[in-house]
Amino acid sequence: MNLAAATSFKSLLGSSSRRVVSLTAYAFIAPLFIMLFAFVFFPVFFSFYISFYHYDPFYHNIYFIGLTNYLSVLRNPSFIFSILNVLYYTFVVVTIQTFLAFFLALLFNNKLPASRTTRALVFLPAISSPVAFSIIFIWVFSPQGLVNSFILPYINIFGLPANENWLLSTTYAFPAIMAMNIFSTAPYFMVIYIAGLQAIPSQILEAAALDGVKSSWHKFRYIYFPMLRFTTTLVVILGLIGCIQLFDQVFVITDGGPAHATYVPLMFIYNRAFIYDIFGQSAAASFILFAVIMLLTLTQRRFFKEMTWA
Amino acid sequence: MGMTVSDQSSGQLTRLLKTISSSFRREEGNVPTVYRMGRLKSSLLQAAMVVLAIIYFIPFYWMILKSFRLSIFAGFPVDLNPFSRTSISNFISNFNYVWGFGNFPIWYLNSIFVSAVVVVSSVFIGALAGYAFARLDFPGRNILFYAVLATLMIPFPVITISEYVFMVKLGWINTYQGLMLPQIASAVNVYLMRQYFLTIPSEIEDAAKIDGLRPGQIFFRISAPLAKPAFAASAIFTFISSWNNFIWPLFEIQTTGMYTLPLALNFFKGANGTQIYWNDMMLATTISLIPTFIIYVIFERFFIQGISLTGTKG
Repeated sequence: MNLAAATSFKSLLGSSSRRVVSLTAYAFIAPLFIMLFAFVFFPVFFSFYISFYHYDPFYHNIYFIGLTNYLSVLRNPSFIFSILNVLYYTFVVVTIQTFLAFFLALLFNNKLPASRTTRALVFLPAISSPVAFSIIFIWVFSPQGLVNSFILPYINIFGLPANENWLLSTTYAFPAIMAMNIFSTAPYFMVIYIAGLQAIPSQILEAAALDGVKSSWHKFRYIYFPMLRFTTTLVVILGLIGCIQLFDQVFVITDGGPAHATYVPLMFIYNRAFIYDIFGQSAAASFILFAVIMLLTLTQRRFFKEMTWA
Repeated sequence: MGMTVSDQSSGQLTRLLKTISSSFRREEGNVPTVYRMGRLKSSLLQAAMVVLAIIYFIPFYWMILKSFRLSIFAGFPVDLNPFSRTSISNFISNFNYVWGFGNFPIWYLNSIFVSAVVVVSSVFIGALAGYAFARLDFPGRNILFYAVLATLMIPFPVITISEYVFMVKLGWINTYQGLMLPQIASAVNVYLMRQYFLTIPSEIEDAAKIDGLRPGQIFFRISAPLAKPAFAASAIFTFISSWNNFIWPLFEIQTTGMYTLPLALNFFKGANGTQIYWNDMMLATTISLIPTFIIYVIFERFFIQGISLTGTKG
């Protein structure tokens, strides 16, 4: 018998002990899976089911209508608009926040006397409730707020109008929410990048320095960028999933307005269910959104392989 | 805990060496830069850090400042002078108004109660499952773990629409159990716990196995106590997400008496029509953030560790 196999635990414990291990494992995962079945898996199937029904739980007015919900949702211009709107939002926010998070990480990864406290302060928005932070940002973008009275009079790089009422402007309300979310989520991803940076063995940097990789750009191009590919994929995917489900901030700050400028799919889904009582359409819209997320993320199959293997 | 290294087989020895070498690598990875940094460069970097910290803190700074002022208006230009128009008595007067508005103490207690129950149950369930996925070998382990991770990709409304319907059917709309139960199953906690248990050298558990402990005993007596940082991190994450949760309470809660703080803030915001009374609003926002900030200040280390654990491969 192979010596290594003999001392490995599977064979060291008899087959009955192996059964004990399996039974313990199932007992350990049972509570989780009970909760997952009740509050995740079954709801997913049930949502799928009601997406083919006219479903009104309050008046027991329920009947099968096939693909009608999907078709009427897809034919609804405000839904299509909300999808395009959120894709535009996602593209802008994920791109900028990923770069910002990376550069914040490069900066705050330096262990200097000031780094710990400053990093803790920068991280504050990432733990604050989106509702609370949104309310503070109503002030930031209000006509009497921070942007108009502190930022634009001194720095106006993009030639933005002075004294604009940002959140009531169809042009600027959505970019304002983008700016706020880039500002508040970049620090979270910064921490993920810092973890990625610290996982790079210092020997690699030393060896690269001997090979002449010394400038910041070269270090970025030949070390950080390729070594942080997993981290970047994670940051992008988490960013995508979060952005596409934008809701709290829009609900609190603009409620989808002005004139639908900040209308996003979750607003549509919420309104269908809770204002119009058309749960079937709500469910159908959710599954279309699900499909969008799958399309955007499942292209990264290698990533999920690595994540499960890890 | 005696480690029985003398009769290690070659397989276990290589594993041990791998563990040791990987822990070394982690140590070395913590060295910030391999180059000696000049004084100028170091001060420039620190200046950049301080500037960023100020930028990031200004919204909160104004929030705190405003809760010490009486004017309901935002003011133009914004007055950031900490001594201008601020006083403790203003704060007390704002506080009395906010605390007496609606059911603020009840909203606070609701938030605390819901978060506490969710944290305890979610962390416990997550730790058990995370341990099983990291350390116990059982048929279907990978596929089940994959199923747990896949839940991270399901958009919130796909689940919530049905959960809302279930709550209607069960008569659990506007109840605590309806508020809490859907928040308990957390893939993030399972993943975080699993990642941490994977970093604990398996030799420790192997020794316990040789001593005759059963897998369940090993978890409760040996592995769980070693995983305190992971427990702390996932407790904090769960607390933050439950405390900040807005969309599920928005679906589930119908009377103001059952509000949690995010709903209460949103309600408070609309209390005077389009005019927000900024002094009271900012005081309400401040007190809703205080528990988060306290926990953050105490456990900052675990926050960072937890995010790092979820963010790197094994």
